[in-house]
Amino acid sequence: MSDRGLTGLSQWSRRLVAVGVLAWCLITVFPLYWVVVTAFKTPPGVVGGPTYLPFVDFTPTLQPFIDLYQGIRGEFFRTFLNSTVVGLSAAAIATAIGAMAAYALVRFEFKVRLGAGLVFFLLALGGYLLFNATFGLTRSQALLLAFPIALIAAVVANRLPLPGPILGNEDILFWFVSQRMFPPIVTAFALYLLYSEIGRLGFQLIDSYVGLTLCYVAFSLPIVVWLMRDFFEAIPIEVEEAAMVDNVPSWRIFIGIVVPMSMNGLLATFMITLAFVWNEFLFALFLTNSRWQTLPILVAGQNSQRGDEWWAISAAALVAIVPMMIMAGLLSRMMRSGLLLGAIK
Amino acid sequence: MMRNDPIKHVFIWPAVLVVLAISIFPLIYSLTTSFLSYRLIPPIPPRVVWLGNYATLLQEPRFWSALFTTTLIAFIAVGLQYAIGFGVALALNARVPGERLFRVALLLPMLLAPVAVALVARMMFNPTMGPLNQFLSKFGLVNLPFLTNGHWALACIIAVEVWQWTPFVILMMLAGLQTLPEDVYEAAELENASAWQQFWGITFPMMLPISAAVVFIRLIESYKIMDTVFVMTGGGPGVDTETLTLFAYQEGFKKFNLGYTSALSFLFLIAITIIGVTYLALLRPHLEKRR
Repeated sequence: MSDRGLTGLSQWSRRLVAVGVLAWCLITVFPLYWVVVTAFKTPPGVVGGPTYLPFVDFTPTLQPFIDLYQGIRGEFFRTFLNSTVVGLSAAAIATAIGAMAAYALVRFEFKVRLGAGLVFFLLALGGYLLFNATFGLTRSQALLLAFPIALIAAVVANRLPLPGPILGNEDILFWFVSQRMFPPIVTAFALYLLYSEIGRLGFQLIDSYVGLTLCYVAFSLPIVVWLMRDFFEAIPIEVEEAAMVDNVPSWRIFIGIVVPMSMNGLLATFMITLAFVWNEFLFALFLTNSRWQTLPILVAGQNSQRGDEWWAISAAALVAIVPMMIMAGLLSRMMRSGLLLGAIK
Repeated sequence: MMRNDPIKHVFIWPAVLVVLAISIFPLIYSLTTSFLSYRLIPPIPPRVVWLGNYATLLQEPRFWSALFTTTLIAFIAVGLQYAIGFGVALALNARVPGERLFRVALLLPMLLAPVAVALVARMMFNPTMGPLNQFLSKFGLVNLPFLTNGHWALACIIAVEVWQWTPFVILMMLAGLQTLPEDVYEAAELENASAWQQFWGITFPMMLPISAAVVFIRLIESYKIMDTVFVMTGGGPGVDTETLTLFAYQEGFKKFNLGYTSALSFLFLIAITIIGVTYLALLRPHLEKRR
């Protein structure tokens, strides 16, 4: 890093640039300051018009938070726990299995026939229709049968010398990452349909811990695989080769050498995933209704429930925001700026 | 270098299985649903209509207006994010005074829940009690209809999007700027190139690949916009700020029109694929020339 970029500028233009950045910084920080301040105001303090400085303009109070804890505006405490439990477990599972997949894609060679993918698609689609329409099974039974059959057929088809292109590791990686491009409404709605079909068989997936966590794991995997691949690629292969000479099995190389060496990356990925799950709104909106409601849903509901009670709304928003503020502080310390750059190449 | 060991299947299958079961398989199911006329309320037994749902949707003005609104928000917001983000990144890279302090503050918005951000925005934009109203009333602009007028509401949503996602652009561009080689700039110094010439001659072209990627990511993400609009305006006034995702939500979850909504979500998928492919096709010649 150097002073380049501004070197050709005069002293005055440098100051102008600094002022510009400062202005943007103020725009960024002011709304945050505003929530924090408003959360400590009393109702008359809010309705009386904007006030800015605690103790000078108004007397701060903890009442909004006490109300929140006592559950006057919805069961905040339980929802907070829901968000925490689902967020932590989904992030942990996604990081674990995503890191494994990323490692496999970096170090092992995979070959998937495009034909096998087509077999999966056609059998999943056709099998479902066949079972449902011809054999008279219910929709959910047909679905549950079609999936394993299509999967097994695809695995078998991959061994057969089918015509058509063979996909390598890069293509599999692209397949993972492209999941992220899908508009989530497509999958959220589809998942809602699927979950309710399975629900009719007796496995409650809508508004359940398992259903929600599973869904978040699936939708965090693209980011995890994407980020972790870069970390694993940066690890010098010599260490692993030395271990292989000593006949250390692959899974011990992974757990004993690779994981400790990329701890920073794993931690950063875990935190990014956690932030994603914590803030996620659409899936939670479709897949929960009361028991496993998450914080964003409850926060969004504050608006319409009781009108413009800004002191309470601020406190609610603050509860959703503060954990992520702490994370931002932690992340910015950990994050070498190269981290995300590697990810977008 | 590449090993071949049967254990690789143990490594990759959990992830593949989860994605197949939770994200690909439902898609296939919802594809079949999109060819049905299938409603829960009032309950009508499903009937195969093939492309009927798609045809109805393409004639539905509300679909086109949602597509237009989403496109408008995405393009304007991403354009502003890119311009501001690139500018701030350049300034931070040139070590303006106090740069360290800025970094944490600038990263914050993108980690916050869009729902909470939208609530805060509602407070800021409140036409009577909000601080923005007080600020503007000093210039004689009192009680502007921030969220109750279609155009104003769109502008407010775009402003919130810019506020929240410019940090992402800053972060990426900053990381990119730090990888640029030093010697090119030294050569330019010797030639007495001005800062302006250096930017357009060196920095901008060399940052083009990263810029393309950043804009692509933001554009795709912006098309998914839902939570912000849901909280700020609920799609209103009328349907002036209704985005595609919100439209699908209204149809699917308020009217339980399952076949129709499935068709809508697939049209959305097709639209976003077309936009993505067109974008990449338009940029490819520029990107390859620089390599």
